Amino acid sequence: CESELELSPEDNRQTPGEIFQDAEAYKQFLAKLYAGLAVSGQQGPAGNPDLIGLDEGFSQYLRLYWMLQELPTEEAVIGWNDGTILTLHAQTWTSGNEFIRTMYSRILYQVAQTNAFIRETSDANLNAYGVDQATREEIVKFRAEARFLRALSYYHALDLFGNPPFISENDPVGAFLPEQIQRADLFTFIESELLAIENEMVPARQNEYGRADRAAVWTLLAKLYLNAEEYTGTKRYADVITYSEKVINAGYTLVDDYQKLFLADNNTNGAQNEIIFPIAFDGLETRSFGGMTFIIRAPIGGDMVPAEFGVNSGWGGLRTTPQFVSLFPGGAESQDEREMFFTEGQRLEIRDITRFKDGYAVAKFRNVDSEGNPGSDPTGEHPDTDFPMFRLADVYLMYAEAVLRGGGGSQSQAVSYINELRDRAYESGGTISANDLTLDFILAERGRELYWEAHRRTDLVRFGQFTSQGVWAWKGNVPQGMTTAAFRDLYPIPASDLGVNTNLTQNPGY
Amino acid sequence: TISGIITERDTGMPIPGANVVIKGTTNGTTTNFDGEYTLDGVNLDDVIVVSYLGFASQEIPFTGQQTINVQLQPDTAVLEEVVLIGYGSTRRQDATGAVEQISTEDFNRGAIVSPEQLIAGKSAGVRITSGNGAPGGGAQIRIRGGSSLSANNDPLIVVDGLPLDQRGVQGVRNQLNAINPNEIEDFVVLKDASATAIYGSRASNGVILITTKKGKRGADLTFEYDLKASVGTVTDYVDVLDAAQFRNIIETTEGTDLGLLGESDTDWQDEIYQTAVGAIHNFTVAQGFENFYYRINYNNTSQTGVLKTDLYERNALNIALNTDLLDNDLKLTLTTKASIDANHFAEQGAIGAAVGFDPTQSVYDATSPFGGFFEFRNANDEALQQATRNPLALLLQRDAEGETKRVISNFNVDYRIPLIEDLRFNLNAGVDYAENDGFSFVPTTAATVIQDIPNQEIYGGFNRNTLLDFYFNYKPYLEAISTNVDLTAGHSFQEFYSTSKSRFTENNVWVERDRSINRNALESYFARASFDILDRYLISASYRMDGSSRFSEKNRWSSFPALSVGWKINNEAFLKDSNTFSELKLRAGYGVTGNQEIGPNYGYINVYTPSAAGASYQFGDRFYRTLRPEEFDADLRWEELQTYNVGLDFGFFSNRFTGSVDAYHRTTDGLLAQVPVPAGSNLSDQLVTNVGETVSKGLEIGLNAGVVRTDKLDWNVNYNITFEDLEITRLDLGNNPGFFIPQGGISGGVGNTIQLWKKGIDPTTFFVYRQVYDQDGQPIEGAYVDVNGDNVITEADRQPYKKGRPDFFMGLTNNFTYKDFDFSFTFRGSFGGYMYNNTQSSTGFRTAGTVTPEAYYSNFNANVLETNFRNSQFFSDYYVRSADFVKLDNVSVGYLIPGEKVDFRASLTATNILTITDYEGLDPEIAGGIDNNFYPRPRTFVLGLNLQF
Repeated sequence: CESELELSPEDNRQTPGEIFQDAEAYKQFLAKLYAGLAVSGQQGPAGNPDLIGLDEGFSQYLRLYWMLQELPTEEAVIGWNDGTILTLHAQTWTSGNEFIRTMYSRILYQVAQTNAFIRETSDANLNAYGVDQATREEIVKFRAEARFLRALSYYHALDLFGNPPFISENDPVGAFLPEQIQRADLFTFIESELLAIENEMVPARQNEYGRADRAAVWTLLAKLYLNAEEYTGTKRYADVITYSEKVINAGYTLVDDYQKLFLADNNTNGAQNEIIFPIAFDGLETRSFGGMTFIIRAPIGGDMVPAEFGVNSGWGGLRTTPQFVSLFPGGAESQDEREMFFTEGQRLEIRDITRFKDGYAVAKFRNVDSEGNPGSDPTGEHPDTDFPMFRLADVYLMYAEAVLRGGGGSQSQAVSYINELRDRAYESGGTISANDLTLDFILAERGRELYWEAHRRTDLVRFGQFTSQGVWAWKGNVPQGMTTAAFRDLYPIPASDLGVNTNLTQNPGY
Repeated sequence: TISGIITERDTGMPIPGANVVIKGTTNGTTTNFDGEYTLDGVNLDDVIVVSYLGFASQEIPFTGQQTINVQLQPDTAVLEEVVLIGYGSTRRQDATGAVEQISTEDFNRGAIVSPEQLIAGKSAGVRITSGNGAPGGGAQIRIRGGSSLSANNDPLIVVDGLPLDQRGVQGVRNQLNAINPNEIEDFVVLKDASATAIYGSRASNGVILITTKKGKRGADLTFEYDLKASVGTVTDYVDVLDAAQFRNIIETTEGTDLGLLGESDTDWQDEIYQTAVGAIHNFTVAQGFENFYYRINYNNTSQTGVLKTDLYERNALNIALNTDLLDNDLKLTLTTKASIDANHFAEQGAIGAAVGFDPTQSVYDATSPFGGFFEFRNANDEALQQATRNPLALLLQRDAEGETKRVISNFNVDYRIPLIEDLRFNLNAGVDYAENDGFSFVPTTAATVIQDIPNQEIYGGFNRNTLLDFYFNYKPYLEAISTNVDLTAGHSFQEFYSTSKSRFTENNVWVERDRSINRNALESYFARASFDILDRYLISASYRMDGSSRFSEKNRWSSFPALSVGWKINNEAFLKDSNTFSELKLRAGYGVTGNQEIGPNYGYINVYTPSAAGASYQFGDRFYRTLRPEEFDADLRWEELQTYNVGLDFGFFSNRFTGSVDAYHRTTDGLLAQVPVPAGSNLSDQLVTNVGETVSKGLEIGLNAGVVRTDKLDWNVNYNITFEDLEITRLDLGNNPGFFIPQGGISGGVGNTIQLWKKGIDPTTFFVYRQVYDQDGQPIEGAYVDVNGDNVITEADRQPYKKGRPDFFMGLTNNFTYKDFDFSFTFRGSFGGYMYNNTQSSTGFRTAGTVTPEAYYSNFNANVLETNFRNSQFFSDYYVRSADFVKLDNVSVGYLIPGEKVDFRASLTATNILTITDYEGLDPEIAGGIDNNFYPRPRTFVLGLNLQF
């Protein structure tokens, strides 16, 4: 009977030897790497999670990234009582915070999955699986994209955690203790990876919708260089100019109406010409309780009408602080069309952070198309709206900032890029002159243009305004706000991983 | 006239109440308190019969004596009771392991549907906690507290030789319900490794052997009908606010809108519960011929739940056929248990909804588009999606039914091999096949349905467990060394297969889920050698080698040895003639057992899973199903438990008082736990792997006393007490003293947990802040002890505190029989365990009911009036309360009317009668230690009728 003990799955699960005979499998595996940013497991919206340590919806990549980038800033507060969620805005988090822990797990999960792809598509394996030449040419592109996605996640680790554990396709799958990498070394790795794959990637704007191309690589390089001083101590602003110019010259255009970037049809309404790299969602096919479902439904509450947002109900959690409202001239009555506060029944001040009606609501993202029709999910649970992770406006702002920070480029060009954004935002009179273009202006303008798009924490850190300077409501866990210790510019390595991985050293201050 | 005195042979003590009768007549008497009797009307050639319960009767011919004194000796049949052990049996007095047999007469009484309830509170070291009050529901069985963290902690259950799948079968409320409690002859609980190691890799959590009733050779044809009719009611509701109190709290909270309140005063819990009724019918026919005997039982059980719409029904046929051939050298036994288990599943979410629903709203609403039920809705008559749903509507608007057809059948051949005396061959072929079908349906009129078609699911599947084992048994007596030898060696192969499939409606269409298939197999070789030297010294050794499909070839096979010794001290010369000791045996054993119920079947191989509906990703215009490589541990291996056990069995005064004491120390090595893996080292954040170690220690005492044993009155008391201690001694891959793993998810806030696994403590320990109280003893909101003194309260101030598991627990059973009248009751007690009152912590603060995502309010636990908390204080130790209790589980009276042709017995039983506890929640006995939306256990009254003819 002993042969009866050699069992392998008999249902839809398969071993690599079985599954990778099929050319289609490589693309499905690649889809998993992208889906890792959008859904939380193998069944939508929930039911076969990737991660076990936290509730499935909460553990979703984009949701956690958004929370860690937005909640500790003046752009967002949340009123729920889930675990340690309130310590994020208060900037009182510890290494035991489960949202920080799960973001860290999620990032390294994504890295491990991309490593598995890279390992599985080695020449030796492709020979063994007997893959034909045409498929192999496709797989070369897939591999480059997998490396891009790995670099993207490592970039998030670099930015949020500084010195994460480092694993590559050469590591085994098991229960070993990965080595910690220093921030500057990780910077170098990401940079070298992106430069190495640049020419293997599909040229800008030539790939299928949803897949990364060369411009996505350039944008990530620009972001890396823009923050290089923070990451490595070395300024790389000239490189920001180089790579943002590459993106700008690739043919992207701003969509006519700012709002269209955040609607259910932002993959077809013209916004797709501005968006360089989206995380794609679909109300029927790509469903999660994280991602855009969170970003659209968590801000709906009070007197807001869910149907106007194309969903059946709101979750009554996210609002913004008075300090962010004041970034717009005229506050909630601003001429700037990017101002999308919902104020009816809401109080500007936040007396009680758990009360939805304290703080203005934000009506930026919606699951309705440009005509006002709701998305494809007939139940109104999950949106079609894609998340604009990289878009041209961000690249314009990076270019302008690099010019101001001495990276070269052209100041008049910078002003002209900014005025493209201002022209779109204002019916008239929005444009600025060269004198107006200062670093303070850039930080404020990035807030106005890119708020709630998961950039704010990185921006505030780069401008030195995140912790020891900069005050907004409930920062430091006091109503009027207070400054906090600078070590919080980095998140802690989670205590749970320090507990199991003795190769790790905690970030200073924690 | 004759007279005399009747005494016990061993002790010389007089026996009061012994019968002295002239054989074949009704002329007789009983002895008085001093054991004396006088009997008139005795003729020559009469035979005097002297008898007494528990002793061998004696017959003395009357030859004209004036005095007949008789010394009765204990009935050896009682002493030599045969006890099943794995793959064979032994005499009770020769057992060297911690083995306990619980037979019919010891069982709990009442309308018992689930077999494990028969032995709740009956055995030291065995803790049985019913899951909840649902009809036909199962219980958590823990022998010596369980030894694993993430692997299964359920004991292995072997029914008439067939080990059941430890994971259960799909679709049923309790997999043991396939065994009709009426048909169970006895349970044998194997507790320590020297007893269980013969079951190897599945034995770490103990083994329960269930033997069902069989026909008897040469027995007359008997028919039996048994009825148990029951009614059950909920004894208590969760203490929530009534309409006036609720209105008051909404009024006094800033920023609330009184316009959202209704005008009614509804007790929602009263709306969802009902009086449960049930009936259990058993028809049995049994008969025995010279070579063939049988027993056939038909059972019909029907029980409604105390939660409306809950229903459990069972129709079962038990057949036991025996035939003895070739001069009794060949015994064939076929046992078959066929059952159809049908359920109507109530929506248990109604329990939480009833606790949380606004009491000012009425149940029905004539203008409601939701089938006439009140629901929170907006101006467009759309249900508010985040609002609490009408609890009664949740129950009445949902139809969820499931049926499981199951056959457990075992064919046993026992052949005494001619030529070689004392050699037997035993072969077992068994199958357990369970086929499950079910559906759920919620119409579009229900507020929970947000698509345009009804919410529907149809599911089905089956489990198949097949067994083939055989062994040889050689049992010679070696005269030369005065030794009884008992040798057994055999082989076993068992395979478990399960598959399921379902489809359901989502977004207005039917969605098909891929069929899931799981298979695992276990192959084993086993052997045992036992020696009884001079009827005094016992030595037993067993060895099992198991191979499991769940581990890689490298780690596939593992050995599970055991060794135990016993010393029958009462057979030593210095005690042989003792009047006091009728039994005294010292036991000691060591053994290694395993646990292979680790969860995944293919945990050691690299497997890819395709995505199901809703988890595809868009490339261009196409959505691609994704492929995910799963986490795996190529080095996955057995969890091994090493047990040391010492025990003492004793019996005094012809075993009128008997007892056992066992002490054990167990170490789990290679503990299988689902733990966080170093980030990046695997393909998930957590992995089932061998990382830790636990140590458990315990002391178990069981006592039995025949307090009064007279012909008319028999009073038997059984008491057992168990002390248990379990500690995690290692948990992580590194060795960080502060490392812990959060456990015990609670309601109220996503991702909140209240327990932890950590080195040095019990795995059910709570993890809380230490509440600060004011002078009046009131908790001060948000004020906690700053344990680390850094002037802020952070997670670092959360401390391990108390635990869910009791320190000790006990059971006390009294059985009285007076003539044809019997009376029994059972108490159970548990001490040192704590409970986290999540019912209070999740709704016992103001913002719980007033800060809601949409326009509605929800009700509060009445505890809010005591604490006056404004915001949630989930992690306050205020909610961790002592869960000590004493329960009067069961009281039963019965009366037997013997008839010429028909014996008639009537009984009345009440169960769950009384709970003595300081715990404020519904029930202090909830497995795991977290009290939240518990389905209440009903108090039940049972009328029993039994006819035998």
